[in-house]
Amino acid sequence: MNWVNDVIQGILLGGYYGIIACGLALMFGVMRIINLAHGDIAVLGAFLMYLLLQHWSVSPFIALLPVLPTMILFGYVLQRLVLQRSLRAGILTPLLATFGLSIVIQNALEQSFGPDVQSLGGQAGSLVTAAWRINSQISISALGGLTFGAAVAVYAALQLYLSRTPSGRQMRASAEDPDTAELVGINSRAVYARATAIAIGIATLGGLALALRSTFSSYSGPDQLIFAFEAVVIGGLGSSLWGALLGGIVLGVAQTIGSQINPEWSVLSGHIVFLLVLISPRGGLLTLRSGRRAPASLPQAGT
Amino acid sequence: MSEEKPVPDGLSRGQFIKRGGAAVGGALLGGGLGTGVSWARPIDPTARDAAVGTIKIGYVSPLTGADAGFGEPDPYVISLANKAFAHGLKIAGKTYKVQIISKDAQSTPSVAAQVAQTLISGDQVDLLLSTSTPEVVLPVIGAAEAAGVPSISTTVPWESWWLGSGNSFTSPKPYQWVFHFCFGVANFFDTYTDLWKQVPTNKTVAMMAPNDADGNAIRANLFPLLEKAGYTIVDPGAYEDGTTDFTSQITLFKQKNCQIFNTFPIPPDFTTFWRQAAQQGFTSMVKIAQIAKTGLFLSQVEAVGVKLGTNLATGVYWGPTWPGGSSLTGISNKELGAGYEKHTGRYWNQQTGASMALFDVAAAALKASGNPNDKSAVASALKSLKVRTTVGELHWGTGGKSNPFPNIVVTPIPGGQWVATKKGSKFPLEFVFCEHEDYPQVPIQAKLKPYS
Repeated sequence: MNWVNDVIQGILLGGYYGIIACGLALMFGVMRIINLAHGDIAVLGAFLMYLLLQHWSVSPFIALLPVLPTMILFGYVLQRLVLQRSLRAGILTPLLATFGLSIVIQNALEQSFGPDVQSLGGQAGSLVTAAWRINSQISISALGGLTFGAAVAVYAALQLYLSRTPSGRQMRASAEDPDTAELVGINSRAVYARATAIAIGIATLGGLALALRSTFSSYSGPDQLIFAFEAVVIGGLGSSLWGALLGGIVLGVAQTIGSQINPEWSVLSGHIVFLLVLISPRGGLLTLRSGRRAPASLPQAGT
Repeated sequence: MSEEKPVPDGLSRGQFIKRGGAAVGGALLGGGLGTGVSWARPIDPTARDAAVGTIKIGYVSPLTGADAGFGEPDPYVISLANKAFAHGLKIAGKTYKVQIISKDAQSTPSVAAQVAQTLISGDQVDLLLSTSTPEVVLPVIGAAEAAGVPSISTTVPWESWWLGSGNSFTSPKPYQWVFHFCFGVANFFDTYTDLWKQVPTNKTVAMMAPNDADGNAIRANLFPLLEKAGYTIVDPGAYEDGTTDFTSQITLFKQKNCQIFNTFPIPPDFTTFWRQAAQQGFTSMVKIAQIAKTGLFLSQVEAVGVKLGTNLATGVYWGPTWPGGSSLTGISNKELGAGYEKHTGRYWNQQTGASMALFDVAAAALKASGNPNDKSAVASALKSLKVRTTVGELHWGTGGKSNPFPNIVVTPIPGGQWVATKKGSKFPLEFVFCEHEDYPQVPIQAKLKPYS
């Protein structure tokens, strides 16, 4: 029965990893940018909600309403003014740009909010401690269930956007081959800016999930990035949309089962699965099924 | 990178000015902001001119990074010390000018080592102080011992300090230059056994010790002591810092019906664990929730949530209700706590007392040396120094129970818990002392309340 509970908790944990991985996968899939500031951007979103909650005593979900558009706008501006420029200089420059951005965000947050750890769990009332007790061993936490549901909703919405809307089709076209897409009249810069805006909006949701389930401080971004990155790699490096969610679930289940065998193996077993996927010839769970080319053979974006 | 400015800068400006202003005010004005308090001493205007030499004191602490909560009171403490040193330090008939050079270790061992080197060879300090976490202190004392600079440190459990600096219990090597005062594992044992008998339980203890320096020291040293004292230890094994799911541990604790919970985690891990424990019904079984390494400051307990944080028990290495005060500044502990709260608008912070004590020891050692610019004179003064500080009287070289090794003085860590305050109070929770086994002069304020 313990194993059943471990798998359930692992899947719920995977929902959280799926949310923080989604934006990372989208940016990598569309632009081949590995956004090293992704975790810090999620934490930035959490701090903005914290700032609002300092002045209004409302639920963190209400605080999300003004913060989400702000962050989406931030993503759009970030792409237009920083990342787009760095894309011109090749594949390494965006990596360095996001690395620098990560340091800038961490230190700006430390200067503004000080070193204290914060959490929004206190303002969310009984949500953070509520759970459905199925029996004495198995319980599904309200927060875990909500996070997982939100993850599935985010991925489904993104799927619909990419497959059903003209804007989504443009995004897929630019991801496949930016030069040809430009030839048929797609403005890849606008597409990229939209992709970053969406990615950072989803990162903000991840920041809220982090703030509710645990604590955050100005320096907690990189820890989130590691798990998000592992989920993306396990799921096939942005070549399939649902891959990142699946990767998150595999990572979550690997961690809870590893922890059941020996608590020392919790984080380690996640890393081991990540390394196994990395060295396997398939290079990701969904790479073959998606029918897309392996990332290494994709042309460089932004030229 | 001007493009990024709008968001981070825009969100921060108001807060930045507020906090920056407070910090600058703290550093420059110091005691001037609280003129009503007795620590405003008259300054002798002629003192500076009469100074015949200069003493440089290096001070290394984590002002930024993961452990920055420990460095938070430093601007206030340094402003008090600067005020006390403002009219110089009179040693053997001569008056010396004292300069405190504070450096940020950024909670990172490599940075701590680097700033220690800068202080030793660049600034040529006469005395090197360091505090808070092995990551900051161990590289500093390593550099000090190697370079022959007298050094005083605190807020690292003394076992971690001794073993972490590469020494051993069985064949100890003497240190010439580095001196330390802090609590140790035996203090935890005294505090916990004294606290835990105040609430009836089944004496089954759920233990969460991570796989890091502190967790391993606790597993090796505290667990056997508690088992000898009749407690059953349920140890699921060492987990890694940063673990995000604790289902397997919670399941085990529930199965074994653990009514006491004890942990030594990094603060974010505790919040994650405790929320999951609440979701899975473990917190309602726990009669005593004893935490260490987190819950040191009110902000950390508030991060857990006021509801889940109420009645968490912990040991505290300084409090404003402690007797005595700082011998350097003449400030009582009560005034130090109140001054900090007034100065920062925050709840008193136990590191304030420990950091202040470093300067008490520093001033006493410099005075006792006869010649503060002679490093070996300062080090030999420290070997038998007896000094009144905010954390009690410290006496090196007695060889008694409080000196497990000649360079170490063990300080107390009385226990208590975070309790809810009355409605309308400035802070949602406050800390009350519930036991004083290893420092009977600390008044007991309440009996331990069950967690749930």
